[in-house]
Amino acid sequence: MIYHVRHRTILHYATPVRLARFNLRLKPAPWPGQWTSDFALDVDPTPTIVESRPGGWPVNVARLVIESPIRRLTIESRFRAGVQGGTIAPQADDPAIGAVARAALLDRDVGPAAPAQYLYASARTPMLAPIGQWVGQGLDPDRPIVAAALALALRIRAEFAYQPGVTDAETPVADAFAARHGVCQDFAHMMVVALRLAGLPAAYVSGYLRTLPPPGMPRLVGADAMHAWVMLWCGPTRGWIGFDPTNGCITGDGHVFVAMGRDYADVAPMDGLFVGGAGQSLSVMVDVAPEEEPALS
Amino acid sequence: MDSDTRLDWADAYLAAAPTGDLFAGAAPDMAGHWRAMLARLATQATDDPATLADHVARQAADLGLAFRLTGDEQERAWPLGPVPLLIGAAEWSHIERGLTQRAQLLERVVADIYSTQSLVREGKLPASVVTGSPHYWRVMTDTPPPNSHFLHFYAADIGRGPNGEWRVLSDRVRTPVGVGYALENRLALSRATGDLLSAMNTRRLAPFFAELRRGLAADCARSDPRIGLLTPGRFNQSYAEQAHLARYLGLLLVEGDDLIVSDGRLFVRTIQGLKRVDGLWRWMDSRFLDPLAFDGGSRIGVADLYDACARGGLMVSNWPGAGVIESRAFGAFLPQLARAMLGSDLILPNIATWWCGQPRERDHVRARLDQLVVGSAFDQPVAGLPDAQFLPGASLDGVQRTALLDAMARRPMDYVGQEIVKLSTTPAVIDGRLAPLPFTLRVFVARDGSGQWRAMPGAFARLAGHGDIRAALMGRGDMSADMCVIDGKPVPPDSLLGGRAPAIRRIGGMLPAKAADNLFWLGRYIERAEMTLRLIRAIAGGSIEADLGPSLASPTMTRLVALLAQWGAVPGSGAAVGPLCATALGDSRQPGSVRALMGVVANIGEGLRDRLASDFWRLVRLPFPRFDGAVTETLLEASSRMIDRISALAGLAAENMGRGDGWRFHDMGRRMERAINGCRLISLFGGDQASDDDLTVLLDLMDSQISYRTRYLTGPALPPVRDLLALEPFNPRAIAWQAARLAEHIAVLPTLRADGMPEEPRRHADALVARLAPLTGDMLTMADIADAESRLLGLSDAIGQRYFLQVHKTESADILA
Repeated sequence: MIYHVRHRTILHYATPVRLARFNLRLKPAPWPGQWTSDFALDVDPTPTIVESRPGGWPVNVARLVIESPIRRLTIESRFRAGVQGGTIAPQADDPAIGAVARAALLDRDVGPAAPAQYLYASARTPMLAPIGQWVGQGLDPDRPIVAAALALALRIRAEFAYQPGVTDAETPVADAFAARHGVCQDFAHMMVVALRLAGLPAAYVSGYLRTLPPPGMPRLVGADAMHAWVMLWCGPTRGWIGFDPTNGCITGDGHVFVAMGRDYADVAPMDGLFVGGAGQSLSVMVDVAPEEEPALS
Repeated sequence: MDSDTRLDWADAYLAAAPTGDLFAGAAPDMAGHWRAMLARLATQATDDPATLADHVARQAADLGLAFRLTGDEQERAWPLGPVPLLIGAAEWSHIERGLTQRAQLLERVVADIYSTQSLVREGKLPASVVTGSPHYWRVMTDTPPPNSHFLHFYAADIGRGPNGEWRVLSDRVRTPVGVGYALENRLALSRATGDLLSAMNTRRLAPFFAELRRGLAADCARSDPRIGLLTPGRFNQSYAEQAHLARYLGLLLVEGDDLIVSDGRLFVRTIQGLKRVDGLWRWMDSRFLDPLAFDGGSRIGVADLYDACARGGLMVSNWPGAGVIESRAFGAFLPQLARAMLGSDLILPNIATWWCGQPRERDHVRARLDQLVVGSAFDQPVAGLPDAQFLPGASLDGVQRTALLDAMARRPMDYVGQEIVKLSTTPAVIDGRLAPLPFTLRVFVARDGSGQWRAMPGAFARLAGHGDIRAALMGRGDMSADMCVIDGKPVPPDSLLGGRAPAIRRIGGMLPAKAADNLFWLGRYIERAEMTLRLIRAIAGGSIEADLGPSLASPTMTRLVALLAQWGAVPGSGAAVGPLCATALGDSRQPGSVRALMGVVANIGEGLRDRLASDFWRLVRLPFPRFDGAVTETLLEASSRMIDRISALAGLAAENMGRGDGWRFHDMGRRMERAINGCRLISLFGGDQASDDDLTVLLDLMDSQISYRTRYLTGPALPPVRDLLALEPFNPRAIAWQAARLAEHIAVLPTLRADGMPEEPRRHADALVARLAPLTGDMLTMADIADAESRLLGLSDAIGQRYFLQVHKTESADILA
C-alpha cells in the first residue's frame, strides 16, 4: 500500500514562549518492508536552526530552535510511504520463547536495531512484578513466540479499556496497568514490559494507522493521532515482528512505521525546552490516505 | 598519659588484633612507623584518646567538611577517624601499577564500545553486557573525545584480604566521589597532628592534584583553558567536596544554568557576558548532561551540550557514556579482556564475578549459591533481591531462594554472583580505645599533562561501622580515615602547585553571573537582618527605659512595630513587646524574622561554597542565641549578640575578601539594602512632623547617635539629622554614602559596550549621586527621599537586568523587593 501521510500539530500558549529548543521525530526511519519519499516539514514561525542528528535508535531526529517569542506554534509534516503488503501470522516452526531469549543474549550486535538494545528496563518501562503475575504462564519458555505474543496482544485489547483522556504522555505504565485503561502508548508500554520480563527483546514503535479502513473492514483504533505499537524480536530467522496491542493484531499494511526505541521517550514526536509559555493547549490532526490508483482507461 | 600507657595502647591492640590486620601484619619497618605514629597520637591525647578523635573531628568541621546521605535535608558532620592507615612504598607500588593497568584497559574497552565495537563483534564481550548498563548511551557512538581520551580519572574501591592480597571491589569512572574528601581528610589530619606526617615520610597528595589539573587542561583546545567543574548543585551528596575541589584546583564551579551552548560552543554566563568554556569536569551522570540528547527530564543539564561534544573542541571528563564499564557484570570479563587487549593478566584482580547471562556461569551461581553473594548486574532494582543490591546466597530462606532462582531463570542477565570477600582490619579509636575495623580504600588515578596515568599516593579509607561496605561512599555509622603511603627516605618538600610555576595573576577568574547574583543578595539579606535586629532592639529597649525612650503606646513605637510587620518579621502589631520581639527574632515561620533571614543567608551561601571562607560558615552555623520572650534583657542580649555576628561577617568581607568583582557585588548588596532602608526609615521617622522620640529612634536605627553628638551639642533637630543621615558624604550610614559607593563599584565593573556609552546601571547610579549631591539638610524634602528610594529600586533592577541570570530568579525578590 502507498499512503499520503499528513500530520499537523498546533500549540497555543497563553503567555509567550521566549525561547524554544526542541526535537521532532516525525520523519520515518528506514525500516525493512517500508519506503518513504517526499518528506516535508513546515514549522511556523520559521525556526532559526533545523538540523538532523542521530537519535541512537531507528529514529530520525530534527533539532529546532525558535529564538523569538511565540504564542502559537504550528508543525506540519507530510510524506509518502509504501508499506509492503502480505500478512504475518504464527507458523508451525516458530521458535520457542526460551530459544529466542537465549539467542538474544548471544547476539553480537550493538547497532540501533540490535536485540540486545531492547532487553532491559528503561525509565518508562520498569520491570513491574504485577505485569509478570498478570501474564502468568502466557510467556512460558516452551511456547512458540509469535502465537504467544499475538495472544498477549489480544488479551491486552480484551482486558484493558481504550479510553482517550484518562492517561497522558507522562502517565507511568504502572498506573495505567493498575487502572486497566489507557491508550496505545500505555498498552504498548505494558506489552513491552511483559515481553522483557520474559527475557525477550521488545521495542516501542511510533507510527501511523490508515485513517479509513478498506471497504468492508473495521476502522482501526487510534487512527486520529500518532499511534504506538510493539516490535518483538522473534529470533534470528523471523527477526522483528510488529504487534499492536490496541487493536489486538500483528501489524500489517495499515501500519506506517516512523521510529523505534526502548520506550516512548526515545521516539516522542516532540520534546524539548520551552522557556516561559504557560497555559499550553494542543490540537493534532493526522490523515493517512491511500494513494489513488490511476483509473484504467 | 605516661609512656607506659602509650605502649599499652599499641600493645593491647596487637594482642587482640585479628589475623591480616594492617598494623599487626605489617613488616618490621612498617610496624615501627605504626608504633611511632600511635605513640605520637597518644602523646597528643594527653588524658584521653577520645579527645584525639574530637580534635581531628573539629579540624574536619573547620574545613567545612560535610556530606549528605540520601534523604538528608541538612549536611552531616564528617566522621573522620584520627588514626591513618599506613602502607609502605613497596606495597603501594604494586597497587599503583595495578591501577594504572586497569585504567589503560578500561580506556581501551570504552573506546572500543563507542567506536568499532570489535569486542562485541568478536564475541569477547556480550552485547547485552554493554546494553544492560544504564550508563550506556548509544548516541555517543562515533563521537570521539579530544585526543581520544575517554577517561581522565579512574577510581576503584579496593579491599585487602586476610593474606594481604588486594582486590578491586568496584570500578568508578562516572564521578570520582571521594577524591576531594581524601584531600580534606589529609588536610584535617595534618593540621591536627603537627609534623607527624612529614616525620614519617608520608608522600604528598598535592602533586597528584596539580597533575590532574594539567591532564584536564592538556585536552582542551586553548593553551590556558577555562575549565568548569559542573556540579548538580548544592543538594548533591558531595556538593561540599565539589566546591572544595573547584577552589583547590582553580576551576570555575558551575551549574547547568550557568552554561549555554551557542553555535555548538560552550559558554559560561558571566558579568562580562558569555565567555568560552574549554572543558568540563562533570560531577553529574551523563543522563543529566543534556535534556535534548539524553534524559529529557533533566533540569540540571545544559541544552545542546551533546552538540558541543559532537562538534569537537570541548573537553569533557570523563566523556559522556564512559560509565558503561562500571557495571558489576563487567567484572566477569575484565580478566579475559586484559589478556586479549593488553596481553597480560590483571595485576590487581577484581573479586571473582560470574555474569548469569551466560549459561555456564548461571549454572555455576545456582549450584554454589550458598558460597556466593548474588547481586544486580547493572546496579538496577531486580526481582528476587528485595531492597538489597547484594545478598549472600546463604542468607536466603527457602521461599526467597525459590523466588530468586525463578527470577534468575526468566532474566538471567540481570544477575551476577560474586565471591564473598573477607576484609582485613585496621586500628580505629572507638570509645577511647583502639579497635580493629574492616576497611576498604577508594583509590584514584588521573591522567597527567602528558596523558600518562598517575596514582594519588593516598586514599579515602572507609571503616565499616557495620554491614556491607561495598555500596556507597559512606553509610550510616561508617568512619573515614586518611591513608598514608610511607617512603623509606624523606619526601622532598613540594609546594602545593608543584612543578612549573603558573603565570602570576592578581585576580580570580571570571565571575559567573549567578555567583554575582548570589553575592549581591547575600549582602542584601545580611543587611536586612541587621536592620531587623536594630528595630527589635529599639522596641525592646524602649519598653524598659521608659523615661529615656518612647513609651510603648507612643506613635513612634507604633510605627516601629508596623515596620516589623511590613517586613514580614511579625504577623501583625497586636502582641505585647516581649512576644512580638521574640517572634521577630526567632520564629522561622515569619519570612522576615532574623532566624529566617539568616537561614536564607546560609542557603545563598551554600551556592557560593567555593567563594566564601570557612570562617563565614563558622559564623553562620553558630547556634542561634538563647532568649526568653518574657525577659526583655535576654531579647536585648540576643539581638546584640546577633548584631556582633553580623558585624563579624562584615569584617570578614572588609578584611578578607579579595577586592575583585565578587566582593563588589557583595558590597553593592549591602549598600543597596542599607540605602533603601535608610529612605524607608527617614520617611517614617524623619518627616516634617517628626517628634524628638522619632529622631532619637532614627539616629539609633541608623547607628548615628555618636556622629550626631560629635557634631551638635543640642538635642536632635530635623535639618541636621536629615543632613547626617541622608546626605553627609562622611557618614557610612548615610544614604548619599551608599549611593557614592554603589556608583564607584559600578564604574569599575566590566562593560559590554564597545562604544564608550554608559550601561544602564551606570546611568542610574550616577544620576542618583548627582541628585543628592547639591542638597543640604535644610532644603531636603520628603519628596527627595521618596525620589531617592525609587531611584534605588530602579538601580537594583538595572543591576539585575545587566549582570544576573534572567532565566530564573534566585530565592530573592519576593521578601526584599
